[in-house]
Amino acid sequence: MLNIFRMDLHRFITNKIMYILLLVFCAFQIFGIFMFKQYAQPIQAGGIDISKMNESEFIQHLFSQPPSWILIYIFVFCVYFYFSEYNSGFYKNYITMKKARVYSVVSKILVQAIFTVFMMVAMVVSDLIGRGIFFDNTSIGDLGYFAKLLIGLFLLLWAFSILILCTSIFTRSMLVSFGIALVLVLNVVGMIFAVLESLLDNVYLSQYLLVSTIYSTFDYNHVRDLIHIASVATVTLLLFAFIAIRLKIKEDLR
Amino acid sequence: MTSTIIEVRQLTKKFKAKTAVYNVDFKIARGEIFGLIGQNGAGKSTLLKMIGGLIHSTSGEIYFFDRSESKDQSFFERMGLLIENPGLYPQYTAYKTLQLLAIAYGLKSPNQYIIHLLRLVGLDASDKTKVKNYSMGMKQKLGIAIALLGSPDVLILDEPINGLDPQGIVEMRKLILELNKTGLTIIISSHILEELSKIATTYAIIHKGKIIEVISKDDLLLKCEERIELEVDHVEKVLPVLEQQLNISNYRVIDQQNVHIYDSHIENHQIVHLLARNQKLVHSIVKYKMSLEQYFLELTKSAGELHA
Repeated sequence: MLNIFRMDLHRFITNKIMYILLLVFCAFQIFGIFMFKQYAQPIQAGGIDISKMNESEFIQHLFSQPPSWILIYIFVFCVYFYFSEYNSGFYKNYITMKKARVYSVVSKILVQAIFTVFMMVAMVVSDLIGRGIFFDNTSIGDLGYFAKLLIGLFLLLWAFSILILCTSIFTRSMLVSFGIALVLVLNVVGMIFAVLESLLDNVYLSQYLLVSTIYSTFDYNHVRDLIHIASVATVTLLLFAFIAIRLKIKEDLR
Repeated sequence: MTSTIIEVRQLTKKFKAKTAVYNVDFKIARGEIFGLIGQNGAGKSTLLKMIGGLIHSTSGEIYFFDRSESKDQSFFERMGLLIENPGLYPQYTAYKTLQLLAIAYGLKSPNQYIIHLLRLVGLDASDKTKVKNYSMGMKQKLGIAIALLGSPDVLILDEPINGLDPQGIVEMRKLILELNKTGLTIIISSHILEELSKIATTYAIIHKGKIIEVISKDDLLLKCEERIELEVDHVEKVLPVLEQQLNISNYRVIDQQNVHIYDSHIENHQIVHLLARNQKLVHSIVKYKMSLEQYFLELTKSAGELHA
């Protein structure tokens, strides 16, 4: 298990696409903050001026406006990382090793966790740079709240990346995976659920969908909100990790 | 005594409505070069993928060292695979490709071993050329080096000479024979009979997913060898005449009326003339010569008729 993870990690670290994605993301994040400044006058969220927001509020404000760029970068990386191995047939060189199918999926899941952390670090750093330059505001706010926000977001984004991995294994097509990922990022499923819910009384399933949860604003000081986030992330993470492993075990490889 | 390293029993693979491999049985002895012959789409790759653990069989069993793979999947890791195209990252060099896999195999200080493998297949470890710029032959060689990285007991090569130039084919043949000399069991598939006939020690002919014959190299050569097929009243009365007067020594008695003569210096008219002079009745005499290709075509044709 550890050896296959080390191999994937080596490939991940020496992968130029990953660094390019992070750099492009940082550049666009800073550019986005510049655009906020340009059109700042009427922009207010929850009664707070964007330029006065601390980092926690700013992050939540960004995530409340779908589609989220960070989700797009995560799905591009996940699909690319999986299919670069699958389409080249490189897996054939090691998949006959004992339990290699299971370890290969677990290894991808761990690499995606690392990439998600990298993305979050890039987001926070570029936010601080952008807000520092254009709003002269680098405040983070309450550190405890900020830490809870980052941990919650990490779990949700990691669960999203596992959902994308599962989709990739299932579809076996890079293009189809990109298409499905885009539909997920646009939260089309959440919107369809919301429409169906409006036809029924007292049904609130859509708020428990992963992408809807990512796009919702929560109070990380409330235990109920924390439980909501932790349960959605954990259930999605475990469910799709399990499905991905089962699919890989059953898969007839090319 | 040769021991069986792989045994396939009633192996079947269905893809939805299509049966790619049907009730296949055969055994492969340790140290053999097992040639799998079949037309395109006959089921060669599917069969090799099942033996290599890439795809799951619908029914049937594969036994490694008399143990079923369904009970112990770890036997698959004793296989080195080169199935269809080698799995390579185009942006990596040969050395880096092997280095990456050495991590997956958990090899400690693999550098010397990687250099040795690359040298064995005729590639330069210090070459900085990326795999995407390799010729087909170089990719195949690297594929074999990759397959050998885990020190396998069995090497599975699916159409390894496809797309190679004549020089590449000769080099590949030489490499396969050298690897076999080290005791490695090799399973190789091809639809190019001429090439396979130069290396394989046993042949399995697959047609429309079914194995229609498993035959040793000696038996195959015997079947295809130039011969005179003679039908007489009583073989035992004719043979002494032929032996004494035409010096025939290389022959095979098929039954009481039929004998096959393999002595190449004898002509049909000599036999007819001699037997007529000795008042022996000749029912028929035919000069028979069949190439491997003809043999294969006749076999698959008759199998096709049986299917029909």
